[in-house]
Amino acid sequence: MESVLVAQALNALFAVAVLALIALGLAVVFGLLGVLNLAHGELVMVGAYCAYVAQTHGWPFVAALPLAIAVCGVLGLVVERWLVRPLYHRPFDTLVVTWGLSLLLRKCAEALFGLGYQSINEPLGGTLDVLGATYPRYRLLLIAISIVVLGALLLWYGRSRTGTRIQAMVDNPDLARALGIRVGRFAAATFVAGTCLAGLAGVLIAPLVPVQPFMGLDHVLMSFFVLVVGGLGSTAGLLTGSAVIGGVNSVVSAVSDSTGGYFCVLVLAILFLWLRPSGIHARR
Amino acid sequence: MTDRFIPARRRVLSAAAGSAVLGVGLPSFAQAKEFKIGFFIALSGPAALFGPTQRACADLAAEKINKAGGILGRPVKLLFTDAGGPPAETAKSAVRLMLEDKVDLLIGSHDSATREANIATIKSKTPYIYSPVYEGGECSPNVYCLGETPPQQAQPAIEFFAKEKKAKTFYLIGDDYVWPRKSNEQVKKFVAQFGGKVSGEEYVPFGAPNKFEEAVTRIKGAKPDAVVSTLVGADNVNFNRTFAGFGLDKSIARMALLLEENTLLGIGPENSANLYSCMGYFANNSADAPKSFKAEYMARYGDKAPQLSTIGADCYAALNLAKALFDKAGAGASSAKLMAASEGLAFDAPSGRVTMRGRQVDKDMYLAQCNGTNFEVIKTIKGVHSGTACKA
Repeated sequence: MESVLVAQALNALFAVAVLALIALGLAVVFGLLGVLNLAHGELVMVGAYCAYVAQTHGWPFVAALPLAIAVCGVLGLVVERWLVRPLYHRPFDTLVVTWGLSLLLRKCAEALFGLGYQSINEPLGGTLDVLGATYPRYRLLLIAISIVVLGALLLWYGRSRTGTRIQAMVDNPDLARALGIRVGRFAAATFVAGTCLAGLAGVLIAPLVPVQPFMGLDHVLMSFFVLVVGGLGSTAGLLTGSAVIGGVNSVVSAVSDSTGGYFCVLVLAILFLWLRPSGIHARR
Repeated sequence: MTDRFIPARRRVLSAAAGSAVLGVGLPSFAQAKEFKIGFFIALSGPAALFGPTQRACADLAAEKINKAGGILGRPVKLLFTDAGGPPAETAKSAVRLMLEDKVDLLIGSHDSATREANIATIKSKTPYIYSPVYEGGECSPNVYCLGETPPQQAQPAIEFFAKEKKAKTFYLIGDDYVWPRKSNEQVKKFVAQFGGKVSGEEYVPFGAPNKFEEAVTRIKGAKPDAVVSTLVGADNVNFNRTFAGFGLDKSIARMALLLEENTLLGIGPENSANLYSCMGYFANNSADAPKSFKAEYMARYGDKAPQLSTIGADCYAALNLAKALFDKAGAGASSAKLMAASEGLAFDAPSGRVTMRGRQVDKDMYLAQCNGTNFEVIKTIKGVHSGTACKA
């Protein structure tokens, strides 16, 4: 019984960690640039297919990480320059453009790889005993990676000069420009960072899920709920949002069933949109 | 999702163009009125994975039928229509096919929720053949069902688990809609029949972004001897991968009621130990009929042929049933006459010759164990009754 409790606690931790990892790219782009990238889930999908390409070529799993950075980075550059940049400050138009992009990416994946499910082998198989509970090693690794990535980003963003400049750009682009910060270039870099993070998250979750062109839809929805609950523009918001959405979903799913878990997530998202639309950690 | 926005007319046009090409070299058909069949397959949504093979198998059957003189001497024309969206959308397309295209027959390869919406809309005015695996019990007038039912799939599998694997406790998990729930009602009867007990039953929301860590942990705590999955598509893949990831595959046997070649490819060779499926057709079956069907399919479509599975095979069988049924009942037959003609009607399916009884199909069933991403048939059960007998 105890081992079941430990395992369910680990499940909740895993749900939160993975959700934060997947939502990170969306949070960066939406929170800092105000662009709601509806193609975020499809970039996760592109990352997952990078893992598939690496596997079919017989490369080691880690080779998929630079591949995903390259592919999603180039995609991000192109999309920012020709689709998103002309539409900053026109949120609805960016919404439509990125939605179109999501359709295009899905169809491209379908044309390249077909609609079938692809199976990616776990790079780290087997289970580990944690306080009496047997837990898959790869999932434990993912929890660790998520903590390290988020921690490093939090530190870097708070302490580095670049982080300060980005904050300046977000708070007041005109003033930042007057101070000699190249706002356009920072915005492009931020967008590309967001798409690369989505690709990396895609590689990391690929061994756990069926890889297929439609897989992105699930992830963009949950990531969006994270931002609705947590609020935009801060790491604390991302973490709180992931903890609330991932945690509630996992705990309710463990105590009752998945229908209950999903129901609570939807109710939470609706309540927040209704009563506290800027989320728990609202930016001033 | 996207295809829903493409005007249906254009899709019909492309299908018509395809048929026109097929028509070349068949001058005798020039004057005959086409035999129009509205064919529901998944062109969009998560089930679109099956679309290519559904279409390829249906086209293959239509080409063969047209070479042999068509249905009632009329060339067959297939109007492929999307059934991948919400059931109500598909039902609207059914109305259009009946009123605008004036189809002679409707064939559906889609989920049970869509079948119920379609039947409520068609109201037996047009004959309707429902081809895929389903929960059984469909007896609406002028509806003909081809797919495997729980008495054909679950009964032999649970008997095997109970007698040969000594399984006493069973855990049921499925998607939350009509097929899994109605199938599990019957599964529970079979479990009781073979002296077992159901130690848990749960459903996940259909079409939601599901994850299965919590359910798998719960199953681990319940310690069943076997798990019966009525999850479909990506949920089935996801569940089985998580299940094996947690290391439960070694100690707990699994069977799934909709486990075919595509799904098994997604589950992957690392996660398919101790996993079973019971179907009327497997693509690698080496018996004569399925082997020659596969050869014909591969010859027609080459290396790029969509993955064959029971879903496509049943689309092929549906057209053969259509030919046998209409040719026997004769032109202008009423629904009562068609239903009477269907009783005891024999026709060719990819798995061999089958017979329709009570507007369902009795068939040979194959219980297979997964080995990597292959199905290895370990038991053949001859002539299993569908468990449903509708009045003719």
